[in-house]
Amino acid sequence: MVCLPLNRGLLTPAEIKMKKTTLLALAGLSAASLLQAEQLDVEKDSLKFGFIKLTDCAPIVIAKEKGFFEAEGLSVEVIAQPNWKQLLDNVITGELDGAHMLSGQPIAATIGFGTKAHIVTPYTLDLNGNGITVSNEIWEGMQENDEKLQSDTPPHPITADSLKPIVDAAKDSGKKLPMGMVFPVSTHNYEIRYWLAAANINPGMYTSTDLKGFTGGDIELSTTPPPQMPATLESGKNVAYCVGEPWNQQAVAKGIGVPVVTNYDIWKNNPEKVFGVTKEWADENPNTLIAVTKALIKAGKWLDASEDGKLINREEACRILSQKNYVGADFDIIKNSMTGYFYFQKTDKREMPDFNVFFKYKASYPYYSDGVWFLTQMRRWGQITEPKPAEWYAETAKSVYLPDVYMKAAKMLIAEGSLTADEVPADDFDGYKPATSDFIDGISYDGKKPLEYLKSHKIGNKE
Amino acid sequence: MSYLEIDNASVSFGPVSNRTHVLSDINLSVKENEFIAVIGFSGAGKSTLMSLLAGLQVPTTGEVRMNGKLIKEPGPDLGMMFQNYSLLPWLTVNENIRLAVKTVFPKLSKKEITEKIGHYVDMVKLSHAGDKLPHELSGGMRQRASLARTLSLDPKVLLLDEPLSALDALTRSELQDQILNIWESDKRTVVMITNDVDEAVLMADRIVPLTMGPKATLAEPYLVEMERPRERQTLNDHPQFKRLKSEITNYMMGISKDSRETRDDITPMPDIRPKDFSLPSAGIRLKNKVSQPTSAA
Amino acid sequence: MADTPKDKIKYGLLKFIDLSGFKVFDPPVRLAFGEDPKKQISEIGKFMILPIIFVSLCIFIWSAVAPTHKTKSGAAPTPKQVWGAWEDNSRFGEREDEKLEDYELSGEARTARITEVESRISELEAESLKLEEASTIAAEKGAAITAKQIAPLSAQLDELKAEIKTAKASRKIALENLAAKVAAGESPASSVLTLVQQQSETAEAEKEKRKILDDQIKEIRDNPPESIKAAQLAANKAADEIQHFKKRLDILNTSNKEVKKAALLAKVDTDEAILAASTDPSEIISKSKSIVTNTENAASVDEQRFAPTATIAWQTKRSLATVFVGFLIAAIVAIPVGIMCGLNKIVMACLTPIISIFRPVSPVVWLLIFQIVVGAFFLPDPAKHPLFTTLNQDYWFGWIKNPIAFLNTNPAMIFSACTVAMCALWPALVNTALGVSAIDKDHLNVARVLKLGFWARLFKIVIPSSLPLVFAGLRISLGVGWMVLIAAEALSSSDGLGKFVWDEYQNGSSQSFANIILACFIVGIIGFFLDRIMIILQRLVSFDDGSSTA
Repeated sequence: MVCLPLNRGLLTPAEIKMKKTTLLALAGLSAASLLQAEQLDVEKDSLKFGFIKLTDCAPIVIAKEKGFFEAEGLSVEVIAQPNWKQLLDNVITGELDGAHMLSGQPIAATIGFGTKAHIVTPYTLDLNGNGITVSNEIWEGMQENDEKLQSDTPPHPITADSLKPIVDAAKDSGKKLPMGMVFPVSTHNYEIRYWLAAANINPGMYTSTDLKGFTGGDIELSTTPPPQMPATLESGKNVAYCVGEPWNQQAVAKGIGVPVVTNYDIWKNNPEKVFGVTKEWADENPNTLIAVTKALIKAGKWLDASEDGKLINREEACRILSQKNYVGADFDIIKNSMTGYFYFQKTDKREMPDFNVFFKYKASYPYYSDGVWFLTQMRRWGQITEPKPAEWYAETAKSVYLPDVYMKAAKMLIAEGSLTADEVPADDFDGYKPATSDFIDGISYDGKKPLEYLKSHKIGNKE
Repeated sequence: MSYLEIDNASVSFGPVSNRTHVLSDINLSVKENEFIAVIGFSGAGKSTLMSLLAGLQVPTTGEVRMNGKLIKEPGPDLGMMFQNYSLLPWLTVNENIRLAVKTVFPKLSKKEITEKIGHYVDMVKLSHAGDKLPHELSGGMRQRASLARTLSLDPKVLLLDEPLSALDALTRSELQDQILNIWESDKRTVVMITNDVDEAVLMADRIVPLTMGPKATLAEPYLVEMERPRERQTLNDHPQFKRLKSEITNYMMGISKDSRETRDDITPMPDIRPKDFSLPSAGIRLKNKVSQPTSAA
Repeated sequence: MADTPKDKIKYGLLKFIDLSGFKVFDPPVRLAFGEDPKKQISEIGKFMILPIIFVSLCIFIWSAVAPTHKTKSGAAPTPKQVWGAWEDNSRFGEREDEKLEDYELSGEARTARITEVESRISELEAESLKLEEASTIAAEKGAAITAKQIAPLSAQLDELKAEIKTAKASRKIALENLAAKVAAGESPASSVLTLVQQQSETAEAEKEKRKILDDQIKEIRDNPPESIKAAQLAANKAADEIQHFKKRLDILNTSNKEVKKAALLAKVDTDEAILAASTDPSEIISKSKSIVTNTENAASVDEQRFAPTATIAWQTKRSLATVFVGFLIAAIVAIPVGIMCGLNKIVMACLTPIISIFRPVSPVVWLLIFQIVVGAFFLPDPAKHPLFTTLNQDYWFGWIKNPIAFLNTNPAMIFSACTVAMCALWPALVNTALGVSAIDKDHLNVARVLKLGFWARLFKIVIPSSLPLVFAGLRISLGVGWMVLIAAEALSSSDGLGKFVWDEYQNGSSQSFANIILACFIVGIIGFFLDRIMIILQRLVSFDDGSSTA
């Protein structure tokens, strides 16, 4: 049975026949289950994907652990990366084939804010999943400013209105409250800015000379790596932060802070992470990219599978993610946020079935309108230093998001029977979500009208 | 005709303004197969003199010749045995000798080399310790190994630089006998440096005192005309031995005293003597503490 | 006295102990051979028992102090927890090995394994159910206890809140009354100020009282009964085990090499049948393509490797390999350059500024520089670079089994190795130069008397004589390299112990702190053994008795 290394390579037909009979007899029924997948002729079958230790890397991890990559004939290694910058660099240098990325990252890299490289994405990994946590002290202050918050289960959503007097008081005494976010082009940065600005707190602007984004701010918002967030809160280096899970739940578990709002409340079902590869890689390995997308779609669907409104696979997913080579945080803590619940305080456990959306609501499709939203935020806060025409927004989004690849993968899955047509957008869909005003401040967003959207905000660049 | 010859040589170091003259006006001629002992105080420049003869150092002025030819660089013909053995510590006794033999006689076969090594190791009675490393040997054994190595070069001149001064008295006399035996059975020119008058009188044909440095020079030689082989046991009663010993000792004490008196730039030590241990004469004090005058500086 | 065989063993052992520098074991060996028992026992007491007692004492103090020290990652881990972390890591490694084995299994062995795993799963499931129940019960009980503890406090708090509310209202009225009086001129204006001040003090005191109660409640909530946690952990562990066995079953049934191959070949079979019967040209093309692809894929299954997972054993091996490569590069560069420096003053003068400037530079800086500079060689696709394809292929020239294929060499590893080399270079270089320039003058004179040529002098005199110092330098280099490596790996995310530590830090799980301390011990123990090996080498090349290198 053992193939000697010397005569590897193509088997002769006679050999195949001989082996087939023995092998089939041995493998028995189980072989049949593999037959349904139509394998693509992939250009590269051994891949390395990078991820950051956050629960929203789940589709990549699940696709590996549940054998979805394998079913496409791919042998995948997933490797934890120390930070977003290194992750992006590793993708650009080719050390990694693809990676779990912040939604803003492919866009920023493509337009050259930070490291310049053309990155594309065929798949949105998840929606929502972030939260803003404030320190106990700030929480007490907010409670004093707003009677309604003086309860174990205060009414949601909590706006930053009750935070404003604290910010003003600190500013009057010559101090800008320090706050943390994950990365300059991360969703977290835009979300905490949005939340603050909605309550008339200026989070500071980026300019061509101020790459930290402090200019004119009422507070100072700076970059902190996610794992350090709770520590900075405890030490007073930050009084609030916006980060993904499990770092908000960890603050609750350790009793050092209170999550006040999730990004679901800031913008309902906002895109969070994407799967990114370089344009070059995508051009060289078109079939591999489709195969990878297929596996990711299957993983996303598996993660969101539910019965009677209960997510049936999440517990298993949490157990896998809690392995030390993946997210590695305690099972309980990951479970807190991924099984449809969220602890705002130890006494305040709420059902949040949509806190982590991986697939439902056609979430994993790469929408152009999402790309445009990030571009508007980059412009709003000055990361894009000059006004741009509306067409530029559309073109840039189109050069980064690859719905075609997604749809090809989806069609194959539909043909294989592992997906139904109503789970993905229709063929003639133009990639723009309909206009929505599901934001904490109720302002409406239409991806086709970026310039109007910019004008509708009080704080930030208006054109 | 002299075989080994130093002609008006001097050695000095340092810049012109602050020159240290170690040796000056050195004249010496050694006959073939003669055994010469140079006797002097420590620090007088004995080793420098030896370096001149070995070709390890070139005189500042003057010439050193062997067999009429100028000595410009060291070589196996001038077999030098160093004061502190200078065996290579990472090689065993046999290997040390092998390195020498192989380098000097590159044409010998392996067998011949081994035989030669055996011969010299036997000669110094070290056969039992041939495979030992130098640090496993006693001082006397090391010195014998060093001697064997020097002899294995088959040198025309044997230069012994205080070969025995680091050894205890018993080992010392044993080695003296050995060197003498070897020399007598296989005659060659020998220049030995020593600080021991007895040793010099016992071994040499001629004894040349080296005066105190700086600007040390060679004094009038003393001829030792006692018949060979010399018997250590009876030597002490030999009239010539007694005479030479006292003459040389007196002479050496004289130059050391001179040197102390002429060097008035040195603050004299207070001449304090312990109350209860008054000494019969200044001579004994000097003899016991040979290096005393210079070390006071 | 003639040496008996027993003596030979004894002196052999003692010599080895002396060579390796484990002097502590000298007395027990002597004692075992009955040499002067009284003295040996006293030596053992002084140099073995007392240190053991001291270390035990340290561990005891650690155990006692750790739980009281609250940190960002919970209480500091006790020795027991660190040992637990070691066990967990070992288990993790074993599980990965099992998976790999399952992946490779074939034939009868595979079917037997499937039955085995299935029966284990059903056993575990029963057990897990029980534990799950126990955990729920414990949680309920615990919640009840907590609620019971909190209830009186909470009542007290409510009472206090009400009290405060009335007090606040009455204070307000009092203040208003007084203000009215002042307005009417019945009272001096200053009395209002006094009252306001008094009232704010009372309010502060009330707040303080409330805070005390709040804190008490919080304290109880933050520290639920231990039994809940324990039951939950037990249930978790069982569920974990089940998951592992299910994964194994999955591997055995679907991703196993043999199964994969069989499935692909079966597909080829079906396609061949369809092809033979087909009349549709497009189907003929697609089926033919599919047959070719699947046949190729089936053939390449043998070459496929089970994607490795970073277990601590694997990471340790990788760290050792990296440090070895870095150290080797350092030695290859440092020794010749050091010899040149020692031999020639001009070379030394030329290199001194370079050595002086670069020696103090931090490893972090070197790492970043190497990532940029060396990284350029591996563009655009490192996986296809000949260096890595050669280092990572299973067989060299088709038949030599590659012993380092399992290391998965990648650019990050090369960067780390280069960083190690760069930092380990200096001690070896400086020491070599020192060793060469400090050769005993007599030895050089011997060379002159023997008229040795340059190369003979170099190899017969200079190198042997400087070897002890060269090895002393190499020993420092290896120590430096090992220390630097951990930092380099953490920063470059090259798999190894450094990355293990960094990942654990990022994980932020309740186990993380214990794992980091575990890594600290592993790094320390390996560093100790590396140093010992270098000491032995150093002693072997020393020509004195080696006492200076202890």
